[in-house]
Amino acid sequence: MAGLTLNHLYKRYDNSGKKKKIKNDFAVKDLNLVCEQGEFVALLGPSGCGKTTTLRMIAGLEEITDGQIYIGERLVNDLHPKDRNIGLAFEDYAMYPPLNVYGNVAFNLRAKGVDKAEIDRKVREIAPLMQIDDLLEKMPVKLSGGQKQRVNIARAIIREPELLLMDEPLSHLDGKARQAMRTEIKRLINKIKCTTVYVTHDQLEAMSLADKIAIINFGVLQQFGTPSEVYDDPANEFVASFIGEPPMNILETTIINKDGTFFFTFHDSNLQIAVPKRYYDVVSDGFRCKMGVRPMDVLIGGPDSQGTPEEIATFENLGDERRIGIHVGDVLMMLITEDEKRYKRGDIIKLEVRGEKTHLFDIETGDRIREKK
Amino acid sequence: MARIQLQNVRKAFGKVQALDGISIDVKDKEFFVLFGPAGAGKTTILNCIAGIAMPEEGVVKFDDDVMNLTDPAHRNVAMVFENYALYPQMTVYDNMASALRSKLYKTDENEIRERILWAAKTMKMENLLERLPSQLSNGQKQRVAMGRALVRTPNVFLMDEPLAHLDAKLRNAMRTELKEMQANLGSTCIYVTHDFMEAMALGDRIAIINEGKIVQIGTGDEIYYMPCNEFTAQLMGDPQINIFRAEVFGPDDSYSIKINVRGESVTMALPKDDGVYAKIREQGLSHADIGIRPQNVKYSFEPKEGYFKTTVYSYESIGNKSVIVAECGDYQLRMIAPNGLNVAIDSEVYIRFELDHIILFDPDTKNYIVRSDEANFIALATAGEEK
Repeated sequence: MAGLTLNHLYKRYDNSGKKKKIKNDFAVKDLNLVCEQGEFVALLGPSGCGKTTTLRMIAGLEEITDGQIYIGERLVNDLHPKDRNIGLAFEDYAMYPPLNVYGNVAFNLRAKGVDKAEIDRKVREIAPLMQIDDLLEKMPVKLSGGQKQRVNIARAIIREPELLLMDEPLSHLDGKARQAMRTEIKRLINKIKCTTVYVTHDQLEAMSLADKIAIINFGVLQQFGTPSEVYDDPANEFVASFIGEPPMNILETTIINKDGTFFFTFHDSNLQIAVPKRYYDVVSDGFRCKMGVRPMDVLIGGPDSQGTPEEIATFENLGDERRIGIHVGDVLMMLITEDEKRYKRGDIIKLEVRGEKTHLFDIETGDRIREKK
Repeated sequence: MARIQLQNVRKAFGKVQALDGISIDVKDKEFFVLFGPAGAGKTTILNCIAGIAMPEEGVVKFDDDVMNLTDPAHRNVAMVFENYALYPQMTVYDNMASALRSKLYKTDENEIRERILWAAKTMKMENLLERLPSQLSNGQKQRVAMGRALVRTPNVFLMDEPLAHLDAKLRNAMRTELKEMQANLGSTCIYVTHDFMEAMALGDRIAIINEGKIVQIGTGDEIYYMPCNEFTAQLMGDPQINIFRAEVFGPDDSYSIKINVRGESVTMALPKDDGVYAKIREQGLSHADIGIRPQNVKYSFEPKEGYFKTTVYSYESIGNKSVIVAECGDYQLRMIAPNGLNVAIDSEVYIRFELDHIILFDPDTKNYIVRSDEANFIALATAGEEK
């Protein structure tokens, strides 16, 4: 059963009153999305891509220009936010400072006029789940960022919403706390099995938390899939370079035919990479496109390697791994190795690229060029 | 270009002792990183060198000159801040020229032009010179701020978290670029960061700072492989190193360790004696804190010889790889796994340690005792120093 359905959703902000003429374009354009019941979906994209606008339309805080939103089977277009049965957790915690944690968590239920004993039972039930049982008597000012966010989420889920909406709930926290909190959120959502839509600009957060990721750019859905789908099988160049860190190496290439074998060649470089056989139907001699390959799939060849000798431009020892940059024309191609060997700038290595792991993209549109089925 | 020395520098803000006896000796042309958590005192050290903050005790020396009483303008340092501090009404070119046109440096316009063009080329921003700061992206602004520092020939570049403002991707890309131009910098540089990858990648040497004190100074490899205590070990590495208490048995012919996994004892024999045994004997240890990095913890989803059983606490992607966190009662174990595995939370997992990659810490003082294969890693770390 679908937990949330977005059907041809559009949003255009009315800029007619503004002095400065802003391009009156759609903030969200023809967005179609179906989240299954209990699924954790991340809306991912760079700032200004329309992900928060989408979330606010789902919550009912923003008017819909066109299209339909269903929560479960219910059309909610014209429903007031309070009637949509949703839980909200935003980046800023917006707690009531004069109330202690218990009061903050209980607030919504009190406002609804729920029975006191019932409220107490619910708060006590949810507190250990969010690990705030020791904090219930504390005032919000006494809490750390991570604790505040836990209270914030507890407050959202105590109403047992049909749909939980979160907008960058971790972006206030520093690196270590964020990582720890990520783990906690993941376990929690796994436990309460509530359909969740989670907005983030951090691809890592989306990759580690979500069952499915919707990648949005300029208000348009680029791809909707599981983390491994978007990582291993990106729909276009934008998705390929947005997901993964360091990003996929993407280089313009001209394909040449050498005695029946196709090779990627690059402007101003000796590097040649064999084109995977499966692409032979779609490429030809002189074919121009972009080639993408992840830094993990570029390797350093051994002494007997047939790989192209290349000079190291950058060598970064990061402890857990080492990153090497090689100039291919004017692009810095990155590779990652866990090999203990220390190189320095100017060393020559033999470069091998896992040809079968390469992706092809259209040079104009950035769309994936796929092999013929 | 200068050698920068701090000798026993102390500085307090009210009751807080911000710097508690800092001594560093930065060699001429060295890229020196100050690394530590927020509030450690890193920026205060930088400010003492720049002359923005006055130390209450101790000496700040540039080469052989004591600088304590020299005002900031005459120290000839170039600073790059986290917020770029560009003049909004000036073009990039004028921003870069502003210091050289000041009364203090009064430089010939032709020479200014030459230097700006050189700096712009080094920073790959030749096409930005005519723009206003408002027309630049954050990454470009930071590049301009660095370029502006570069046009001068200061005693030292002081950089205070110059990349911290940028998002993770841009930060890593800029770090790689900074690394690439580092060779052309040809100047002493002191760089403050709280990002361990920046510290490792950029620093010729790293000083770990905590609570106003220096914890350890060394090359990245030295600190990564031979951290002087558990605090440093946990700072270096992402995901963090696993540290857990173990009982140490011996000495017979061999040593073994016993750990507690969810109330059950698991005993593992330490591999061949590579210098670890002698240190354990010397210290007369009955217990030790064992540090092992996530890439040296191996897992299996089937029962396997030499593996012990526990359950999955979480499974998360960290980019190009993933981390499995396993629940072990008092502590959790992190281990590296590929992306895209089908791992259910709370399912069973079997774990083995690569015991030839462990670091032993004193359970009371938390200080470093010994690591496996120590001689090899000392050689590796000193080889790195030569570059």
